[in-house]
Amino acid sequence: MGTTRRAFLKTSLTAGSLVSCGLTVPTFLGRTAAAAPNAGKPGAKDTILVVVQLTGGNDGLNTVVPFKDPEYAKLRTTLRLPAAQLKKVNDEIGLHPSMGGLAELLQDGCLSVVQGVGYPNPDQSHFRSMDIWQAASLDKELTEGWLGKALKKLPASPSFHLAGNNETSPLAFAGAPVRVPTIASLADFQLRTAAASREDKKQQQAIIEGAATPSKKPGAGLLDFVQRTAVQTYASSQRLQEIGKNYQPKANYPNTALANHLKVAAQLIDADIGARLFYVSIDGFDTHANQLLAHANLWTEVSEAITAFFKDVSARGHKDRVLMMTFSEFGRRAKENGSAGTDHGSAAPMLLVGGKVKAGVVGKHPSLTQLDMGNLKHHTDFRQVYAAVLDRWLGVPSKEVLGKAFTPVEVFKS
Amino acid sequence: MAETIDPHWAWDPYRPSSESPWDLKKVGHLYRRATFGATWEEQEAALQAGPAKAVDRLLGGWPGQEKVDELTESLARAIAKANNDQQLAAWWLYRMLYSRHPLREKMTLFWHNHFATSNAKVRNAGYMLGQYRLLHRNALGNFRTMVREMTFDPAMMVWLDTSLSRKGMPNENYARELMELFSLGIGHYTEKDIREAARAFTGWDLHNGKARFREAQHDTGVKTVLGQTGNWKAEDIVRICLEQKAAPVFIVGKLYRFLVSEAVPATPELLAPLAEKFRASDYDIQALVSTVLRSNLFFAPQAYRTRIKSPVDYAVGTVRGLDGKIGTTALASALESLGQNLFHPPSVKGWDGGPAWLNGQTLLFRQNLALSLTSTTDDRFGRRADAAALARSHGQKDDAGLVDFFLRLFLQGDCRPKVGPAWYTIRNSPAPRPSRFTGPPRTLPTTASGRCVTWC
Repeated sequence: MGTTRRAFLKTSLTAGSLVSCGLTVPTFLGRTAAAAPNAGKPGAKDTILVVVQLTGGNDGLNTVVPFKDPEYAKLRTTLRLPAAQLKKVNDEIGLHPSMGGLAELLQDGCLSVVQGVGYPNPDQSHFRSMDIWQAASLDKELTEGWLGKALKKLPASPSFHLAGNNETSPLAFAGAPVRVPTIASLADFQLRTAAASREDKKQQQAIIEGAATPSKKPGAGLLDFVQRTAVQTYASSQRLQEIGKNYQPKANYPNTALANHLKVAAQLIDADIGARLFYVSIDGFDTHANQLLAHANLWTEVSEAITAFFKDVSARGHKDRVLMMTFSEFGRRAKENGSAGTDHGSAAPMLLVGGKVKAGVVGKHPSLTQLDMGNLKHHTDFRQVYAAVLDRWLGVPSKEVLGKAFTPVEVFKS
Repeated sequence: MAETIDPHWAWDPYRPSSESPWDLKKVGHLYRRATFGATWEEQEAALQAGPAKAVDRLLGGWPGQEKVDELTESLARAIAKANNDQQLAAWWLYRMLYSRHPLREKMTLFWHNHFATSNAKVRNAGYMLGQYRLLHRNALGNFRTMVREMTFDPAMMVWLDTSLSRKGMPNENYARELMELFSLGIGHYTEKDIREAARAFTGWDLHNGKARFREAQHDTGVKTVLGQTGNWKAEDIVRICLEQKAAPVFIVGKLYRFLVSEAVPATPELLAPLAEKFRASDYDIQALVSTVLRSNLFFAPQAYRTRIKSPVDYAVGTVRGLDGKIGTTALASALESLGQNLFHPPSVKGWDGGPAWLNGQTLLFRQNLALSLTSTTDDRFGRRADAAALARSHGQKDDAGLVDFFLRLFLQGDCRPKVGPAWYTIRNSPAPRPSRFTGPPRTLPTTASGRCVTWC
């Protein structure tokens, strides 16, 4: 165990209110050294998952392109990506020209492309479909997320949502025993005071925390929610100010929002506090019109950010501990519309990046002729991918999270 | 909620009684929901006026709005001319702070969140201001008129691609969101309805900043939408949507969450009388808002403090409460970090609101903003929301009086018995640091506002 972690864990809770009211606090605050995770192989206790959400419905057909299929050119008259520019995966499939970094990861054996992912009776509302993916359920009412449920089985696993200003806490984390904090940057994640001295500052923080302390009995409702969020946030923020100070990136991160969020993730991994789950997202994939340039820019940002992050954590020796997974709420209509864009569709590929993934393409590209209302048909349920991640990566029984057994997709090296 | 609420009692007018008197708490509640918060003088005036008159005044506004409009219109023209995206939110915040008709301004915000359009894609400040005017004009008007105008609003036409939708290859974006988010809600239409409706919206583009119909680009074929078949045009789709039973229920449910409660579930039974009234009035928004703001349920304990303030409510309410005169450019950028960048909602669904406003980071930003606003050293806001001066001008001389004043101003006295005293005990603690007491008392108002203003 690194000295950072030991020092971090040793810090006792100063906010007496936390202890006195028996509140659940972020696990990395209360955890004892004995509960620190073991190092080990995939499926062991210290694997890390980084979920990258592509918001808006990514056009899978122009992400992983079946360039050999003559139907592709027919469906995409203005949006067709020339075969010569694609990053070839094999004789039939190529990655979008902007995915240079990801193509290199494929060369290095660290990228897996899972084809044709979706779910039965696909919903084409952004919001409903996103909820389905985040909750991993098709139930009418969705209140818990798949990662929130997973965290119930992963005690002492600090998790973070790294996000910009317009982003709220994802449903994916709902239901977690401790609310997963959203963090813009470590520097911003602190309670400021107008204090003349250290002691004064402490006292002022104590007042503010005191005002937020809920009653001892956990209650329901919004007031309880606000108070718990406040107490947990104040406690986390104090600790987070103490960590990650010595972090220096070991890769060139582009100056983009996504890269900045992933850099904070790298910083938190480097801080050695046993963090397991990270969640980031990038919006803009709802390309109904003039898609070509917008989509290219988006994939440049995604590819560069993922590549920089993976290089950074690899250089720190975490290559085999880290798994990144992309998803979007749906793919897009096979045939482009009249505005040089694409409307909402269904099946699309997912990408997995990591030292332990089975590199290459998993599954066939969905047929471009056998469509469902003009949309690509899925052959792999996204919950089969989640099942693989839960069972074989995080070590959480997938059935308990997904409600029933799904056959895991073979995405890891055996 | 274990208890069930009688829907008829709920929407009948509230009459003060000995069990439920008209008091400062109800005044604060009314102003938090119907406006962006009240000054101490406004609270006292409403307390004197009684509930009926207080609501009348909110619905009608105060004299002097023309002056505010005149000033902001000239600013709007300059912003449009320069296509100045940066100043849009600041411009609106100025109106919120100084409006003489705050209820209309608040309802404009409601509709902005309903027809959520972002300049991130529109990239035309003039179009965004045009949409603001549309929303403001109809904010307490007729919902049917608003949807019809919205369909041909330039900002909306860019936002949801109506301006690019052509015969033969229609763009489905507007048709989908009109049904899913603007009128019916999910589950009340099919994918087929969307595709058919999209055909009716073809043929419109933007010419010199205005919607223009081009017959040749319009799909004149027969369409079947929500069970009605005909050679439908755009206006017909709006009419058909608003003829659905789901439409008034959907709108009323959203308004309920905005004005009444995020915690008490809006059951179909509870909403039914309200939705029926809204439908019968042919979508008269002012009548609906009036019914809600005068109702038993609105002033009942079930609705009291059952919403989480939006960042705009939080910040504008704090500044107004403190009689502050602050620069709205700085305020706009602060609001962005709190998660509410006006004219830039995160998606066409708008801001989720409720618990989603508080995610750890935004909670810290809220507390830190309260500190900056009341700071006498931080220049960002021009040091003009001086809490200490305000308290002095209301005759508060000692710490106990000061704490009491802020608790009444922001919380109408709602505070756990231990918390208030803690705030001034610490100031009076015998710690040998006299320097702390020489400056204006920043911590107290900051703490007070930080604590109170999270709640609505």
